[in-house]
Amino acid sequence: MRTSILSILRRLEEGFLAALLLVMILLSCLQIFLRLFFDSGLIWIDPLLRHLVVWGGFFGAVLAVSRNKHISLDISEFLLPARYIVWLRLVARMSGCLVCAVLTYASCLFLQSEMEYGSGDFLLLPSWAWSLVFPLAFAAMSLRFLLAALSPRTAGASITAEECFDEPA
Amino acid sequence: MNLLKFLLVGLALTGTPLFVVISALALISFYSVGIDFSVVIIEMTRLAETPLLLSLPLFIFTGMLLSESGAPQRILLLSRTFFGWLPGGLAVICLIVCAIFTAFTGASGITIFALGGLLLPALLSDGYQQRFSMGLITSSGSLGLLFPPSLPLILYGVISQSRIDHLFLAGLLPGLLMLAFLMAYAMFKSPVQGDRPPEPVSGRQLRRCLWELPLPVIILGGIYGGLLVASEAAAVSALYVIVVEVFILRDVAVARLPKVLCSSMVLFGGILVILAASMATTNFLIDQQVPQRLFDFLQHYISSKYTFLLLLNIFLLMVGALLDIFSALVLIVPLILPIAAGYDIHPIHLGIIFLTNLQIGYCTPPVGLNLFLASYRFNRPIIELYRASLPFLGLLLATLVLITYFPWLSLFLISLWG
Repeated sequence: MRTSILSILRRLEEGFLAALLLVMILLSCLQIFLRLFFDSGLIWIDPLLRHLVVWGGFFGAVLAVSRNKHISLDISEFLLPARYIVWLRLVARMSGCLVCAVLTYASCLFLQSEMEYGSGDFLLLPSWAWSLVFPLAFAAMSLRFLLAALSPRTAGASITAEECFDEPA
Repeated sequence: MNLLKFLLVGLALTGTPLFVVISALALISFYSVGIDFSVVIIEMTRLAETPLLLSLPLFIFTGMLLSESGAPQRILLLSRTFFGWLPGGLAVICLIVCAIFTAFTGASGITIFALGGLLLPALLSDGYQQRFSMGLITSSGSLGLLFPPSLPLILYGVISQSRIDHLFLAGLLPGLLMLAFLMAYAMFKSPVQGDRPPEPVSGRQLRRCLWELPLPVIILGGIYGGLLVASEAAAVSALYVIVVEVFILRDVAVARLPKVLCSSMVLFGGILVILAASMATTNFLIDQQVPQRLFDFLQHYISSKYTFLLLLNIFLLMVGALLDIFSALVLIVPLILPIAAGYDIHPIHLGIIFLTNLQIGYCTPPVGLNLFLASYRFNRPIIELYRASLPFLGLLLATLVLITYFPWLSLFLISLWG
């Protein structure tokens, strides 16, 4: 039961990211099409795209935590024997958890001042709503780092470079 | 405070994601001068004001879908058919194919993984020496970094706020020069009996190869024809690749498409958070006038532009061997840009020097990433790869000298068409 809920959540997350990117591709192409053939365009597309990039990127970064795809110096993984690597990873993930928690706090501070002094509405929403991505994504990353640190899978074989482009096992 | 920063370097060595380390550095730095944490986030929100950013996920996706499809095999087939008869034909083809592939996928070592397994057996069966073949593939794993639409090139544009169409032009001649050097060496080392004639291919196979050919035309033609800006060219290529690979050639199943889209966003997310974190540290460093002070210090000892360039190259080679290319760019470029401006170095020229160095750093012993990837991929001890890539490294360094000391290599095309 629990695993099926988790797998539904995972598919939702993947679907959300895929849809975001597809929307970005289609909206940009629509804009080009309108400009080249009708000499017009929709003024909301460009600013919306700029925000979608940030939303997509940050939630992509959340998933990157679970998939262990964040860019890091992996020299020690190549050089050290496996039994040390488990401990290194624990340290790495706990610090990820901690720093992302502080970043969540910083985002909340930022959001608070945006709500008070922020500029006007943007695309039907108040400007702070578009900045919600920061607290949401950092909180999610912090949680994911914690889960990854606690998960027994961390103790497994080292992630190979070949998995660069693959889904997690 | 300094002890804390020292700890952070140690943390980076444990394999902690670099965005975490850089963010922590930003948080600690602002905290130490009594500035509110939220400044870090304010800096990150500036990302939403960068239109060029959009081209990154779109080009990442294009490259990823291409590598998922049969495109690498097709490019190889096509070039073997047309250039296979040349002396050193196969080696030359390897170089060209690797360069094209890297330009589209970004230099993330993907070339070695996607093409290495394809090219090494082909080279060996054509009678090339094992050491030469491994060195060739290892060092060409990042070749093509200077050709549009390579991601590091775009990222440099984002960070330095240079015009991306100028950067794309600037990379062409230096990239071709590098390619020419390696090609000449490859021809020199080709086996005496000559390459075997390529196996005959059917017209149908060849026609399938034609679909990917318009891509460079869309990107370069669109941008320099004045029809598209870089991010639009990226969107058009993304849509084109979906239509071709999923619906026309059916290399990639429709059901697989969401996975590729999602993985592209994951890869982009990894780059974006590093960029976001470094916006904050950069702001701190500039606020503290670190580049200015570094420049004053340097100018005290180095007055000549050429000496500065020499030191810069040595420094960047070390950076390139130690750091991955994206983090190296976001961390070092903001520091070096104002200093280089002080020595009267054109920012576009600086960008090309930067990327050439980082590219060479990929295959520089002892810790160049390509060496590890190749050692893993070909199941060979790393020492053997050090030796194998040495002659190639020498040639790449020679081009680096030319690129550094002849700025017109980078700037000529811009003055012509820019």
